[in-house]
Amino acid sequence: MKIFWSFLNRALIAGVLTLSALAFASSKSHTTTVIIENMKFTPAEFEVKKGETIVWINKDLVPHTVTSNDKSFDSKIIDPGKSWQLKNSKVGTYAYKCLLHPTMLGSLVVK
Amino acid sequence: MEIKMNTLKLAHLTFLSLIAVSFSASAHAEEAKATGPSDPQIAAIVVTANAVDIDAGKAAKAKTKNKEIKKFAEQMITDHSAVNKSAVELVTKLKVTPEENDTSRALKKGGDDNLASLKKLKGKEFDKAYVEHEVAYHQAVLDAIDQTLIPSAQNGELKALLVKVRPAIEAHLEHAKQIQTSIR
Repeated sequence: MKIFWSFLNRALIAGVLTLSALAFASSKSHTTTVIIENMKFTPAEFEVKKGETIVWINKDLVPHTVTSNDKSFDSKIIDPGKSWQLKNSKVGTYAYKCLLHPTMLGSLVVK
Repeated sequence: MEIKMNTLKLAHLTFLSLIAVSFSASAHAEEAKATGPSDPQIAAIVVTANAVDIDAGKAAKAKTKNKEIKKFAEQMITDHSAVNKSAVELVTKLKVTPEENDTSRALKKGGDDNLASLKKLKGKEFDKAYVEHEVAYHQAVLDAIDQTLIPSAQNGELKALLVKVRPAIEAHLEHAKQIQTSIR
């Protein structure tokens, strides 16, 4: 019986540690998704925490780019159906656009 | 040169009026469905409209010395090719065979006439004429999408494709207008 409870205790501790590790890992890997469709970025403006990942998914019919005005990031061509990831570690406000379609504008704030 | 430009402008405006007339089946959606183009005809109109702008883009890309216009022309080639790819994939999937009609033929003729006019021009005159035509052309296509093609489309997926294409045409129109202002 003593062995049983000892085993159960160890299993519980292991379980709690695993869950904590998973929770910690998932909070670190939070991802913001931006959809590129109908010739616009949705959401067009948003905030992320330093180190978080942003994914732009091109669901449009034509290719697009995600290019910051200060040239600190540039996805190059994102074809329809493809996506592009950015993990920005520098705090700041970044206005960006699609180089191919100048009417497409967005902005992201890294805090 | 002044008389030649005025003649070309007249030909240009005549072409665009013909397109507008051939596109406008009706102002009312219900009437548009009854008298407007069928899905196979819509497919032919979409493919032809894209092809016309691709050809104009190729002509401009080869001739213009203006960097902004060259970029725009390249974009027209890329975007309209991508839209045509989606359109062809859809009609193939739906087993719809594009059917040539008065509108698609008028578009083709207008496109050929435009190319012939542009061939006679060079330098800034070419740039102005190309961009002016792109503004008018995209406006005409946008109006056709809103007033004729979307209301007439029977198949839901074809209608959805037209709805999805619309923002691209609108963005092209805005881009062309920006360039038109900058080269005035």
